[in-house]
Amino acid sequence: MTTPAISIRDVRMDYPSPEGVKHVLDGISYDVTDGHFVSIVGPSGVGKTTLLRLLTGLAQPTGGSIEVRGEKLSGSPKGLAVVLQDYTRSLMPWLTVEKNIALPLRSEKLSRAERRDRIESSLAEVGLEGNQKSYPWQLSGGMQQRVSIARALAVRPSILVMDEPFASVDAQTRFDLEDLVLKVRDDFHITTIMVTHDIDEAVYLSDEVVVLYGKPAKVSEVVSIDLPFPRSQVATRNDHRFAALRTRIYEKVRGLEAPTQP
Amino acid sequence: MIARRIWRWLLAILVAGWLPVILITWWWKSSATSDNPFFPPLELIWEQFKLNWVFTNVSIHLVPSLENLFTGFAIAVVVGIGLGALIGTSAEAARYVEPIVDFFRSIPPVALVPVFILLLGLDSGMRIASISFAAAFPILISTIEGVRQTNAVLLDTAKVFRFSPARLLWQVRLPNAMPVVFGGLQVGLQIAFIVTVASEYLGSGFGLGAFTLTATDTFNILDAWTGVVLLGLLGYALSLVFDLVERISLGWYYGQKKLA
Repeated sequence: MTTPAISIRDVRMDYPSPEGVKHVLDGISYDVTDGHFVSIVGPSGVGKTTLLRLLTGLAQPTGGSIEVRGEKLSGSPKGLAVVLQDYTRSLMPWLTVEKNIALPLRSEKLSRAERRDRIESSLAEVGLEGNQKSYPWQLSGGMQQRVSIARALAVRPSILVMDEPFASVDAQTRFDLEDLVLKVRDDFHITTIMVTHDIDEAVYLSDEVVVLYGKPAKVSEVVSIDLPFPRSQVATRNDHRFAALRTRIYEKVRGLEAPTQP
Repeated sequence: MIARRIWRWLLAILVAGWLPVILITWWWKSSATSDNPFFPPLELIWEQFKLNWVFTNVSIHLVPSLENLFTGFAIAVVVGIGLGALIGTSAEAARYVEPIVDFFRSIPPVALVPVFILLLGLDSGMRIASISFAAAFPILISTIEGVRQTNAVLLDTAKVFRFSPARLLWQVRLPNAMPVVFGGLQVGLQIAFIVTVASEYLGSGFGLGAFTLTATDTFNILDAWTGVVLLGLLGYALSLVFDLVERISLGWYYGQKKLA
C-alpha cells in the first residue's frame, strides 16, 4: 500500500454565524489514491467547496488533519494547482495569456528558456497555441478556462484541484474540456480532485466519486467507477453500467434509500 | 484601412472642434471694436500673447510653474499610492488613519497655502509642499478604495500561488486597483494645477499665478488676459496628456469594457 496523495482524517469545519456555530463538515475521512481522478458530489450547500478550500490550504479545518503525501497541510502546498469555476475573475485581465501562465512560475527558479518552454508546452497541452499575446477577455469562456488549466499545468503539479471547472461553459465546450482534463491527467499522471454538481460528469471522469450528505456533512458513500479507460463521450455514456452508477449516486445525493432488492 | 483611420480622426476633430471654433470667432468679431479696457479685442490679446509667451517669459514664468506642478504632483502620486496601498490592505491601519485622512481632505486645498507659508516660508519648497499635500488626498482615497476592491477569487488564486504579501500587493492588488486609482490621479492633477497657481499668488515674483496677479494689480489687462489664456491652454493640454497616458496604461481595462 503506497502513501495516498491526500489523506483526509476526521476533518471538521465549523463557522461562527449569527445563529451560533454552524457545523459544515463533521468527521470527513477519505484517502485520495495517487494518480486517481476523484469527484466530490453532494446536494447544493452541503460543503463541497468548503472541503475543497481545506484541501487547497485556503482555509484551516476546525478539527482533524489533512496530509499531502504524508505531510500535514499548512497553507497551500507546493505542487498543488487549482482551477476555479470563475475563470473571468481568476485570470488577471491586465495580463496577456502568457503572462497569466507565467505568474505562478515566478516563485520557481527557472531560466528564461525553461519558463518559455513551460508556457508554450502548457498552451499546447490545452490546444491554445498562438494565443500567447491575447488578453483573457478577448477569448471565449471555454478558451479562458483552458488558459486557467494551462496556468495550473505550468507549475507541473502533482495534484490538481478543480472547483466546478465547467459550470459556466456551454454543453459542447464542456464535453471538450472534460476530455481535455482526462488527457491532461494521463499525460502528466496528475492526481485530480474535482468538485461538481453534475453527477454525469462525475461518473464520466472519475475513478472514484465521493458523496457528501447531511448537515453537517459526512461522507455518505464512496462509489468506485469501474468503467474502462480511455473513456469516450459516446461509448462510456451509453454503457449500461454508467446509467446504474449515475442512478446510485443520484439517490445518495438526494438522500434516497436504494430500492430494496426483491 | 489607414485612409479610414485618418477619416475617423478628422471626423472626431470636426465633432469636437466646431463649438470652440464658433465661440472663438464670435469672441474675435464681437470684441474687435471693444473700447472697454477690461475686455480688449481678442486680436490685441493674441498679439500680446505672442509677445509674452513666444518665448520671452517662458523661462521666467512658465518653467517654474511647471516645475512646481510636476514635482508636487509626482510626490503626491508616490505618497498617495504608497500610503493608500498600505491603508487599503490593512483593515487595522485603516481604522487608525482614516478619520485623520477624512479630516484633512475636507479642508479646501487652497486654504492651506497660508499655513504652509507660515511653516515653510516663501520659497518653491513651500509651493511644492502645498501642491503635493492637496493633490495627495484624492489619490490616497482612490487607492484605498481600489486596493480594497480586490475580489476574493483573485486573492484565493494568489494564495494558491503562495505569493508573498509584497508580491500580492504589487502584482495583484495594485494593478487591479489601477482603473480606480486613475480616477484619483485625474482629480489630483486638477487640484495640483489649481494649487500651483494659487500658491504663486502669495509672495512670488515668478510663475504664471504671480504673472497674472501682478498684471491685474497694475491694470495691465492685456497681460492678465494672456496669462489666463495660457493657463487655459495649459490645463487643457495637461488633461489631454493625462487621458492619453490613461488610455495606454489601462488599455486592458478599456478593451474589456468595450467587449462587455
